[in-house]
Amino acid sequence: MTRKPRFAIAVTVVFFALLYLPIVAVVLFSFNERKSLTVFEGWSLQWYDAVSKDRDLIRSLETSLQVSAVAMVGSVILGVLLAFGMVRARSRLASAANVIMLIPLVTPEIVTGAASLMLFKGIGLQPGLTTLMLAQTTFSISYVTVILRARVAELNPEIEEAAMDLGASRRQALRLVTLPLLWPAILSASILIFTIVFDDFVLAFFTSGVDPQPLSVRIYSAIRFGIEPSINAVGTLMLLGSILLIAIALLVPRLFGRRNNSLDLFGG
Amino acid sequence: MTSTLTSEVTGARKPRRERLWTWLLVPGTLWMSIFFVSALVLLVALSFGTTDELGNPQFGSTLDNISAIFSGPYLRVILRSFLYATLASLICLLLAYPVAYVIARYGGRYKNALIALLVVPFFANYLVRMYGWQTILSDEGWLLTWLRDLGVPASFQILDTAGAVIGGLVYGYVVFMVLPLYASLERMDVSLIEAGRDLYGSALQTFLHVTVPATRAGAYAGLALVFLPAMGDFISAQLLGGPDNLMIGNLIQDKFFAGQNWPLGAALTMVLMFLLLLCMSGYLRQTARDAKEARR
Amino acid sequence: MTIDTVDRTATAAVSLQGLSKAYGDKTVVRDLSLDIAPGEFFSMLGPSGCGKTTTLRMIGGFVDPTQGAVSLHGVDVTDLPPDKRDVNTVFQSYALFDHLSIWDNVAFGLRRRRVAKAEMTQRVGEILELVQLTGRDKDKPNALSGGQRQRVALARALVNRPAVLLLDEPLAALDLKLRKAMQVELKRIQREVGITFVFVTHDQDEALTMSDRIAVMNDGTVHQCGTPEDIYERPETRFVAEFIGTANLMTGTYGAAGLHLPGGVLLPTGRLEGVEPGGEVSIAVRPEKIWLSDLKPDMVQTDGILRATVYGGATTTYLFEIAPGIELSVLEQNLERARTEERWADGERVRLGWHPDHSLVLR
Repeated sequence: MTRKPRFAIAVTVVFFALLYLPIVAVVLFSFNERKSLTVFEGWSLQWYDAVSKDRDLIRSLETSLQVSAVAMVGSVILGVLLAFGMVRARSRLASAANVIMLIPLVTPEIVTGAASLMLFKGIGLQPGLTTLMLAQTTFSISYVTVILRARVAELNPEIEEAAMDLGASRRQALRLVTLPLLWPAILSASILIFTIVFDDFVLAFFTSGVDPQPLSVRIYSAIRFGIEPSINAVGTLMLLGSILLIAIALLVPRLFGRRNNSLDLFGG
Repeated sequence: MTSTLTSEVTGARKPRRERLWTWLLVPGTLWMSIFFVSALVLLVALSFGTTDELGNPQFGSTLDNISAIFSGPYLRVILRSFLYATLASLICLLLAYPVAYVIARYGGRYKNALIALLVVPFFANYLVRMYGWQTILSDEGWLLTWLRDLGVPASFQILDTAGAVIGGLVYGYVVFMVLPLYASLERMDVSLIEAGRDLYGSALQTFLHVTVPATRAGAYAGLALVFLPAMGDFISAQLLGGPDNLMIGNLIQDKFFAGQNWPLGAALTMVLMFLLLLCMSGYLRQTARDAKEARR
Repeated sequence: MTIDTVDRTATAAVSLQGLSKAYGDKTVVRDLSLDIAPGEFFSMLGPSGCGKTTTLRMIGGFVDPTQGAVSLHGVDVTDLPPDKRDVNTVFQSYALFDHLSIWDNVAFGLRRRRVAKAEMTQRVGEILELVQLTGRDKDKPNALSGGQRQRVALARALVNRPAVLLLDEPLAALDLKLRKAMQVELKRIQREVGITFVFVTHDQDEALTMSDRIAVMNDGTVHQCGTPEDIYERPETRFVAEFIGTANLMTGTYGAAGLHLPGGVLLPTGRLEGVEPGGEVSIAVRPEKIWLSDLKPDMVQTDGILRATVYGGATTTYLFEIAPGIELSVLEQNLERARTEERWADGERVRLGWHPDHSLVLR
């Protein structure tokens, strides 16, 4: 066995440390006694208390949850349809759909944001809850489709034929055989999208209105225009929520008995 | 499964069956065309527009915006963004390789846990993490206070510098470099490294001559995944940088909100997209060339 | 219609009339017409890409023909989807439902037909016993070996007691021993229940040993349809002769004296049925029909130069060159009198012969 590369391991350790450093700072200072952001004085839950009493903040949280849920449902429905279409159809529309679906993935969010804002103003929609939901759904479709398409392509098309051969109609075949096999991937993709949309800032910034503000935009304003320690509390809570959701997303396929997990989605 | 099966899934006499799948594409494609493609088209169109006295955007056919962009100050910002994004990408590459390598080769049972550990911070809110850095690196923040306590004459500032912005970009997107590299390294045939050790002797040589070429695909993917969003980023520059460190993204944000010059903002966005398209096509051509060479 | 209710005395179990399938400008199946009798073990044999699988899928209803009709027991089913046809299929990839248990997999067809619970339990139990998988009914498919999964696929199809069963190279993924065992099993089941089997394979041994009749296909058409003996002993085309066994093809100009082979060699074949003097013709001779000793005067005889001797345990194969570019493969059993030590040296000239009846004239 070869010697372990000490330099590389050192880099890795430092890397992970730096990766978590700001998070540690935020979490730690969310419990800070004093208002200071640089000196830790003692343990206190006052900022969490302030957060729970901040009605505007709660409203922003509700807004973000709403938008994430709507984007999740909308993009998954459209994404499933697209995934099947792209894998099974042989028409020119399939290749066109493929391209259209990929472009958002390589477009910086600022471009999508600016373009979306333009479109809504052009249609006559004022930036608000509706525009935010529409924009987030649009952007999410790409992610969902990429994830699901890989899974649909893996499916053996003979499975549906076998179901029909045994007496199931095409609709029954899809319901009884294909969708159950797709379900873990759909669930993973849903949770993933929910988290992504919830945390998203740039697109939300461009397409949301003054009221109601999604949580990420509110945090941005707070950071820009008035440092408030309760941001730390909000940040910590959001972090916990995201971790929880991602953990669920990673565990779901394993619960369904699939041997590989959705980590293969990244870089694979 | 033989290839004959996959090509004989549906028939042609009753195109109904085949058409079913094509119909499924319609809702999604329609949606994307309306809410995305047409948005981009509008954006490009407004680039040639003007603003009236009240600041409202108007469509037009002037090239003023574009010529403004390619003059002095705006051009400088564009070049600066390019520089920052490139530096950030390279730094990400240098950092990600050892990390991905260690996890892939020495992670053992904990590989998946390590990757999860890597990805989790990425799902914390980007703003909050940047805010954390702001806290740590500010003049009264942890780092400088700690250095001063140690007696180090830390009269320099860390924030409001190009370094801070680039650091912020690296921090924000390095995960996108580690994951493809990790995937590439995982897939690599380990016996290649062993053969390389025989041939080259030193670990570094083996790394450079065997590992890097073999994982080229992952590196290219990572570079694309970091460079593209970094070019359009504005948060890092805004929270960690100063007025001398503005990137294209900041300009665009300004023109659409505070500065209220939508046509100029649209033109800037269009230029950004165009630059990225150029880089992407260069990248694609390079990877295609590499693939062809690998096949030889 | 199941095997229990079908009218056996009636028409063909499967009837294909002028079936064609084209994908764009590529024709995969060309004007194919076949009748398969009830209770027959019918094989479609041919190389990859010959159209046999496409034909099978057209019978099953998974592919729509470009032209032609498919009838099952006298009923035209060409426009019916798979769920409305009374056939069941064993797919090459088995296509088991991974999210369901073995029991649920096998019971799937019965459930669609709303068979009563008691009857379902009985039938599933019986079929699992038939394929020797009792006790595994609660397992999921991915816990089973390849051979076991194959048997589940078979059980899932058979439990519905179809009148016609389609099998798409079901044994291709199994290792040799298992494949041989399954061949015997399948044949036994088919005989017992009396189901019409339509069996697709590219393995000629498999087809020859199991089938009542074989359709040899190439390039979208049936070259010959007949019993295994017909196919082997009386191949009608060059393709069939070469695809099944070794052909020992000899091509030359036919004259009154016999077949003129290249290099001036004359093969005294005697009268060849249906061949005009002066025309070019190919004949084939099966390797086991060629004699190397005890030649009779009425045999077709010629000299050959030994090029190779290949020992095969029970048999030995000799390669003789009888004319420039024409080699004959001769198969002999290693009987006591055929010494295992070399009979002839390489390059030696040996007299060969065979009965004139065994000269096969090919189109």
